[in-house]
Amino acid sequence: MEGLVLALLGIILAPMAGGLLAGTDRRVTAWMQSRQGPPILQAFYDVFKLFGKERLMVNRWQVLCCWIYLIAAALSVGLFFGKADLLLIFFVQAAGAVFLVMGALSVKSPYSQVGAQRELVQILTYEPLLILVFAGIYLVVGSFNVGDIMAYDAPLLRKLPLMFIVLSYALTIKLRKSPFDFSTSHHAHQEIVKGVLTEYSGPALAIIEVAHWYETILILAVCSLFWATNWFWMIVLLAATYFAELVIDNTMARMTWRWMLKYVWSIGLALTFINFIWLHAG
Amino acid sequence: MSNLLLLLIVLPAIAGLVCYFVRSSSVRTLTVTATGAVLTAASLALLGQGSFVFEASGLWESLVTVLDFALLFVVLYYGFKLKNLLIKVLTVTQIVLLGFFELFMLDHGVSVPALMGDNLALVMVLIVSIIGSLICIFGIPYMKEHEHHLNLKKSKQPQFFLFLVLFLGAMNGLVLANNILWLYFFFEVTTFCSFMLIGHDGTEVATKNATRALWMNSVGGVALVLGIIFAYLQTGTLGIVEMLAAGPAAGALLVAVGLICLAGFVKAAQLPFQSWLLGAMVAPTPVSALLHSSTMVKAGVYMVLRFSPMYEGTFLSHGIALCGAFTFLACAALAIGQSNGKKILAYSTVSNLGLIIACAGINTPLAIIAAVMLIIFHAISKSLLFLCVGTIEQAIGSRDIENMRGLFKSMPRTAVVTIIGILSMLLPPFGVLLCKWMALEAAADHLFVIVMLALGSALTVVYWARWAGLLMGGRRIESTPEKQPLFTRGPLMLLCAGALVFAFATPFLYREALVPMFAAAHAASHGNILDAATGGFAIYPFIMLIGVGALFAMYRALRSDVRRTSPYLGGAHVGDIEDGSFLGPMETAVPYQASNYYLGEVFGELRLTPWFNIAAGGLIILMLGGAL
Amino acid sequence: MFKKLIKKSRAKSPWIMHFDCGSCNGCDIETLACLTPLYDVERFGIINVGNPKHADVLLVTGTVNHRNKAVLKNIYDQMPDPKAVIAIGACGLSGGVFRDCYNVVGGVDKVIPVDVYVPGCPAKPEAIIDGVVQALAKFEQKQAG
Repeated sequence: MEGLVLALLGIILAPMAGGLLAGTDRRVTAWMQSRQGPPILQAFYDVFKLFGKERLMVNRWQVLCCWIYLIAAALSVGLFFGKADLLLIFFVQAAGAVFLVMGALSVKSPYSQVGAQRELVQILTYEPLLILVFAGIYLVVGSFNVGDIMAYDAPLLRKLPLMFIVLSYALTIKLRKSPFDFSTSHHAHQEIVKGVLTEYSGPALAIIEVAHWYETILILAVCSLFWATNWFWMIVLLAATYFAELVIDNTMARMTWRWMLKYVWSIGLALTFINFIWLHAG
Repeated sequence: MSNLLLLLIVLPAIAGLVCYFVRSSSVRTLTVTATGAVLTAASLALLGQGSFVFEASGLWESLVTVLDFALLFVVLYYGFKLKNLLIKVLTVTQIVLLGFFELFMLDHGVSVPALMGDNLALVMVLIVSIIGSLICIFGIPYMKEHEHHLNLKKSKQPQFFLFLVLFLGAMNGLVLANNILWLYFFFEVTTFCSFMLIGHDGTEVATKNATRALWMNSVGGVALVLGIIFAYLQTGTLGIVEMLAAGPAAGALLVAVGLICLAGFVKAAQLPFQSWLLGAMVAPTPVSALLHSSTMVKAGVYMVLRFSPMYEGTFLSHGIALCGAFTFLACAALAIGQSNGKKILAYSTVSNLGLIIACAGINTPLAIIAAVMLIIFHAISKSLLFLCVGTIEQAIGSRDIENMRGLFKSMPRTAVVTIIGILSMLLPPFGVLLCKWMALEAAADHLFVIVMLALGSALTVVYWARWAGLLMGGRRIESTPEKQPLFTRGPLMLLCAGALVFAFATPFLYREALVPMFAAAHAASHGNILDAATGGFAIYPFIMLIGVGALFAMYRALRSDVRRTSPYLGGAHVGDIEDGSFLGPMETAVPYQASNYYLGEVFGELRLTPWFNIAAGGLIILMLGGAL
Repeated sequence: MFKKLIKKSRAKSPWIMHFDCGSCNGCDIETLACLTPLYDVERFGIINVGNPKHADVLLVTGTVNHRNKAVLKNIYDQMPDPKAVIAIGACGLSGGVFRDCYNVVGGVDKVIPVDVYVPGCPAKPEAIIDGVVQALAKFEQKQAG
């Protein structure tokens, strides 16, 4: 029962937190570029505006796909706050990501097709890393259950420092930050227009934006597991991580999927092996 | 009891002969349909009766021995006919070994029960009988159309259905066998049937691939004979139950089990033996569907799974897990580089079989249940997908997924069924994913296995998602859905419904059927593991919300106040929304085409296969060597 | 309440799309200058998007000619309602010095309805921003089609 309440609370609060975070993100980015930047609530204005727009679609599959993306993202956050199994949460989230891609593929548009293929490569890159991070957590805690992991009596960061770096790679890809923002980008222009999001518009785009907030919160929540023993340090860890993401975003150029796949997999796997060997040795 | 077994094993053979000798299309249709119905009923009745052990009379024993040698000589004849040295050598080896064993080693005085049905066998019989029958029924209109395209003077359908239906009987025999020599006999029958079916079209490439299938499976046959001889020398019995009762194996017996598992690997087309199954797709689609889903390859994983108690906790077990996980990863990678729909399905089959074998190798109660569930769900989804591709291929004349782009426009029903089939391999709440989940949980302690499973599972997402995505597309309201014969649509719809129903029945199936079946002994001591790992699926209703959510999404999608527009092309689009062309030079409409990334430079088949084969061969040597 | 919220958000989040309809690039440079830190239009929530399907306001610079009038119309049609159009510079307003050319149709309003005209050759960034703000006042009142 308590789990259900927490889950519902998560589903309601996550988009608010996600929207605020998106607004803050733009504000801090503007500050780094010596601009004033938009209001903190800008992300909410954008989404409400989009909800008020006409439904303009190439086909109805897009509507289906964007809704499933939102539902899966919201459910995965709900499952996390309801303290379910990490792998299950991950699979539910992956289902949503897959539907986003399928919706983009359903349209015969070169931009969204290329964007969708790139998005698939991104999924291909971060998915194994996330599973390995969860496996690392399992090796320390002995359970995939979020409740059990929260109850573990030492910060996971101490035992899994390298896995946290691996997770931050996944976070950067999932947040669509440079150098991994080639399927679509938060910045206005891209060589493939808006990539995977090109053919979604109006309310559909709003739905995707909200789903993206959910996903952001989900990944940050997974990050928070690494220092779940103390609220203060958890918040410090999250803030520091997100700030690092912003710095990376503003200092890196956009790279190609080939580079990403090779670079992230090799670094990620190497770090994983080293960290797992530490665990076995320790 | 014996009547049911007769129905399940011998009836298909008789029905096959009827199809062969009575060359009437309507008799054939009737025979195949009736056999399917009887098999389904008999398998359900057998399940209702529960576990059993069945002693066959001496007559049957001799008959099987005689038929066994007869079959080997038939194979040898084909070896000479095809002028294939490998087949000749391998078959002669089998004849010599088996003859020596029967004449000089085997104590004919002691009889062991010939057949037995425990939970694993009964589940397998259900899969073979029900899904196999549906595929055979689908084959009736399919083959008519197939031969229509080929313009044959004399129909080859009688022969085709002889082997197709016989196959079901042989599979039932294989999974029900207790006497390991019977297992060997049925193993050989399936090898021979698949050889005949793959080469059915008689083209050059079909003959070549059939030959390859025959010699590779003969390697499995040799391994199996050797395994049987070693096992008999160590345990002094031919009964599988009796062997299993002896508990975990060690020493030479472990080598015997390793060899039997190797035979299973070959049958299940694990790396480096995958090429025979890939070649098998030249055969008409019902054959591919049968080989990939409910029969043949499942015989391989069945054997590995059957002997899993014997290698529990040994190095062999780890070796099997590594081999399986490697195949899972490697074939998922190879599937990414493919645009041929059937080939994608083939690699995905091998990949999933690898996962099943990895589960068998991990060898915890949870992993074993995951393996059994995976066998069930994979059989349903994969047979559905093969039948879909066959239907699509006959309609559009291509099996390339690029040509299936926007299939929903022309074949909405088939496209939706295919999409559901693909999603059932990929997403929650469908069973295959839940099995993957259980497998990952079970593998969390095995460093290399989990790394390979994690990578493989991500690769799987890529090749399925892009296929499902490109099937979608718009549809003009005035266009009508495609028409199909009843025997084409029936199996498609039944399998699709099966996939959906099983998705919702998973927790029930898990708790009420599979845990008592396969982990009853462990439930007392390991009950905790089973519950804690997946929460006993207590969370399941929550996952069901995805289903509800999907329905809501569908409702939103069908609500009709949507203005339709062309894809964005820098404003240069012309013509109809779905056509896809832009305004080119001289005011002409230029069509454009987008296609998938196949990542050839990373996942190219020719590039990767040799390395994968070497690595897989190394792992198998590691596995067998570790058993020594 | 939801409607009010949407209306308010509409004024706070105008995403613009800039279409160069055959301009000499003078007005284009001035338009893009609005995005620089000096003018920083993002503080009004303005984003320069590259896709009419995401855009609320279409900024058109340059003369419309017979070759690109179909493109301009297509892009306008691909914007979801409600939407506004701003014509920028002398050419966008009337065809400018090119209005008598054999291939020139004239101003933007010959092809699509224009809400705000921003004069100048080239138009100054301040004028363009003012134009957008004027368009927002109109835009707020528009309803989704």
